[in-house]
Amino acid sequence: MTPAAPADAPAGPAGRRDDDTTEDGTGTGRADGRTAWGTARTVLRLHRTALLVWTAAVLFLNGWLVRLDKTATQGEFAEWEACERAGQDLCDMPVGWVGHSEWLACIGLLISFCFLAVAAFAGGTLIGRELENGTARLAWAQGITPARWLTAKLAVPALALTAGTTALLLVYRRVWGAHQNLTYSGWTGDDAYLSRGPAGLAYVLCALAVGVLTALLLRRALPALAVSVAATGLLAFVVARCRGSFWPTVTRTSAEAGVDPPANAWELENGVLVHGRRTPDLSPWTCDGTAAEARRCLDDLGITGFYTTYHPESHYWPLQLVETGVVLSVAALATAAAFLLLRHRTATASTA
Amino acid sequence: MTDTAMAATALGKRFGRRGGWALRDCAFRLPAGRVCAVVGPNGAGKSTLLALAAGLLAPTEGGVTVLGTDPASARARVGYVAQDKPLYPQLTVAETLRVGADLNPDRWDAETAGRIVSAGELDPKKKIRSLSGGQRTRVALALALGKRPELLLLDEPMADLDPLARHELMGTLMARAAQYGTTIVMSSHVVAELEDSCDHLLLVGGGRIRLAGEIDDLLGAHARVSTAVSTTAGAAGPAPATGGAPGGPPDLAPHTVVESRVTGRQLTALVRPAGPLAEDWRASTPSLEELVLAYLRNPQAAPLTPAEPEEAAV
Repeated sequence: MTPAAPADAPAGPAGRRDDDTTEDGTGTGRADGRTAWGTARTVLRLHRTALLVWTAAVLFLNGWLVRLDKTATQGEFAEWEACERAGQDLCDMPVGWVGHSEWLACIGLLISFCFLAVAAFAGGTLIGRELENGTARLAWAQGITPARWLTAKLAVPALALTAGTTALLLVYRRVWGAHQNLTYSGWTGDDAYLSRGPAGLAYVLCALAVGVLTALLLRRALPALAVSVAATGLLAFVVARCRGSFWPTVTRTSAEAGVDPPANAWELENGVLVHGRRTPDLSPWTCDGTAAEARRCLDDLGITGFYTTYHPESHYWPLQLVETGVVLSVAALATAAAFLLLRHRTATASTA
Repeated sequence: MTDTAMAATALGKRFGRRGGWALRDCAFRLPAGRVCAVVGPNGAGKSTLLALAAGLLAPTEGGVTVLGTDPASARARVGYVAQDKPLYPQLTVAETLRVGADLNPDRWDAETAGRIVSAGELDPKKKIRSLSGGQRTRVALALALGKRPELLLLDEPMADLDPLARHELMGTLMARAAQYGTTIVMSSHVVAELEDSCDHLLLVGGGRIRLAGEIDDLLGAHARVSTAVSTTAGAAGPAPATGGAPGGPPDLAPHTVVESRVTGRQLTALVRPAGPLAEDWRASTPSLEELVLAYLRNPQAAPLTPAEPEEAAV
């Protein structure tokens, strides 16, 4: 449909036109390819600044991570080892809080929540501003269809974001894993959960899709920017609340005393068993005193045991993958809605 | 392939589900190779009509065909310049033209586009955001003409241009139309701007097509008549001297009256003659401006859109 039929075209300046005619003879695939490349190049040209900023941010954060890993750690690690050798408690306190751990957590938070910036970019600059200024119409009045325009507007940033985010996730993963004993918060922390796995990338792509959809809905840059950031933030909040249920939990019970989850586990719930039923409201330390007193107290309350429900660290990958799937599904839905909306707004070729 | 550049049947566009109709029940046919003026007051629906033809909006009802197909399929062969001349402010003039080349890979005519820009003595390295309104118009026109359109849709193209640039760019457009048979549709609310260059007219008012056809035919179908009030009012003694009194309206039937006005003892009217005019009437051909103004002042006047779109199918 899109490639021009040379017979219908008015004859342009002779030489140029002839070249085109011979090329048209080779088939439409080549013309399609050139259109796709031309459209992608246009998107790169329009969002040059954003691309430079993103590249600089990725390089800067990665450089910082590598530096943290190489230099700053050595001293602290020695300090930590000395502390451990001396048999002191809480060695991560003086070491971790103000050094390696703090910076690492800071970068981790930046990586985990960079999708909010992506949502702002997608809603505001990428689509919202174009619809507000009418430059989107300028593009649609050229030889490309609005659907193709949207495809390029999604695909080019998606590629750049995927490449950059993947690099950040891999480097962070490596640096975080190298000195886990120096980090303060564990694998479930806000700084380390998304910044080390595929879910972090899924949020970035989802922010892009949601931003594009809100911009198409609102058609103005600033409201689209605000709504898109709010919507992706809300999505992340809701998903984080449900995160624990993305994979079956492990429950440990004991008849004797309160159970501690294993080291590095993500504890979701703990409590007592009252006649075998889980009661999270009652603390395992409700009864104290001498052993006999405690026993009597427990019997009075009908407490037959203790339990704790948790995710061991080995659940990191299944939890990550399920969350990735959920977030990517939202991204796919938003993308489909964006294309449908654009199709509804602009004239599309009849199937005839 | 087809001799119809643009045709509409029962075309209507409403913005929002509860919004008013920007355009309703439009039917017309524009033969290929014409330079067509779309005239009408502000908010009449001119821009909506052009955007529908360019495939930038989907019609609410009815349809429009462009170059023998639907607007979406004709997109590559249609040039469009929107009223506010949107361009990417962060690009330079040269980069804007490169965008045109990238988005029209099989049709781009860099030479024409470059010539239009350089005629305005524009520095290609200048950013679009630093250009004046007229310079932006020039770049927007270069972008539209660079894709070698068969149909060029221009929404208020000359509004920002100084007289010199207006003359020069109008000349470029007309040369293009003459050389390649490009159909040009341009909207304006300044009729005088279009009178010399256009041969076809679409008068849009209140979201409907009021007049459609070749300008010569439309002018020929109307007559400006003037006559003394007393003679046509019948032999009722001395006619009332006060003009406009309903007591003695001259009988203009069976002609279709577009507008009539009594000044003193003189009645002037713009009519569509349905037969020979009375002998004691002084009749003359109206100017395009008179015709357009008469229709715009009298929204109740019967529209004249002779070309039925069914002809387009043949």
